[in-house]
Amino acid sequence: MDFILPLYKNALISPEANMFFAVVMGFAFGFVLERTGFTRSQYIADTFYFRSLAVPKIMGVTVITATTWFIIFAWMGWIDLSALFTPKTYVWPYLFGGMLFGLGMVMSGYCPGTAVAGLGTGKSDALVFLLGLFGGAFLYFLLYPMIADFASSSNLGVLKLHDLFGGNEYISYILTVLLESGIIGFLVLLQKLTNKGEK
Amino acid sequence: MEKKYWNPYFGGVVLGTMLFLVFAIASQGFGASGTFSRATAQLLVNSDKSWLDNAYIASYFRHGGSALNNWTVIETIGILFGGFVSALLAGRLMIRPDKSPDYPVAKRFLWAFIGGMIIEFSTRLTRGCTSGQGLDGMATFSVGTWIFMFAVFGSALIFSPLFRKQWVGGEKKEGGE
Repeated sequence: MDFILPLYKNALISPEANMFFAVVMGFAFGFVLERTGFTRSQYIADTFYFRSLAVPKIMGVTVITATTWFIIFAWMGWIDLSALFTPKTYVWPYLFGGMLFGLGMVMSGYCPGTAVAGLGTGKSDALVFLLGLFGGAFLYFLLYPMIADFASSSNLGVLKLHDLFGGNEYISYILTVLLESGIIGFLVLLQKLTNKGEK
Repeated sequence: MEKKYWNPYFGGVVLGTMLFLVFAIASQGFGASGTFSRATAQLLVNSDKSWLDNAYIASYFRHGGSALNNWTVIETIGILFGGFVSALLAGRLMIRPDKSPDYPVAKRFLWAFIGGMIIEFSTRLTRGCTSGQGLDGMATFSVGTWIFMFAVFGSALIFSPLFRKQWVGGEKKEGGE
């Protein structure tokens, strides 16, 4: 079967057009990050004190929405889901790196994407954060000869949810929707039970 | 007057549709952390060619040309302008740090810088940030991304008491009720 989407992998748009599209979609991404409050480090950090659940709500609904489009388009035979770039699974580096990331996130209140948009809105702490990113990359390059083995350890390749249980992408989709809506529901319930007084 | 932020569920539907579009066209999702790693590598190589001996830096120059000739780098420039235009239109464009009101700016900057260092370092291990690994990987059903996401939010919750003053402020105002 001939798929139409994704356009770039199927050579239906030129590399130049794809680069132009990168600016346009980046702009839209930055715009929405600002509209939803994600350009404010304090607003992001509110998540970890149960003062706001905007972050998990937005992330969860984003994933549910995107995967719903994927599944509909795949069902119609319009998109080749296996052609979408999917990160490989490196178990220990992701576990350790993720925990490090979480520390950095509650410390700084930003992620690289939200800080770039935050700089656009004039946040001075976002600028300082972005300078820190250069420092972190430099440190990684310096230490790379020592940690290269760890960084590429426990590589399971591209591993999707349905690979664990058998079945196809529909199984992954159902699991994803259940996980995301379950997490949002659990957090909303927890927030109701723990701090009735706070917003 | 400032506008209100979008409802999170509405924001999620908009962002999710955009995430679908970006995958459907570019075959890859949003990202940002790679941009800063590439920019750092480019700066180092510009200052001294011997940095190309570093295997990680060299991987950015495999195809010749600049490390910055990359989809995510171009997209990151768009993110900056998107944030700017949205804040401008919403009346939220203002040069200031974000923190709880009484927290000293110098300490806020220190945590922002160290946090930035930690985050970029960790994204090299995790092949992306909460966009390039988190959103993109969850949308493509990656098992590793779920490991990453639980580690991120679990760890942030564990460490959150250490940074409470920066974000929430003191429990009670002095001289308060």
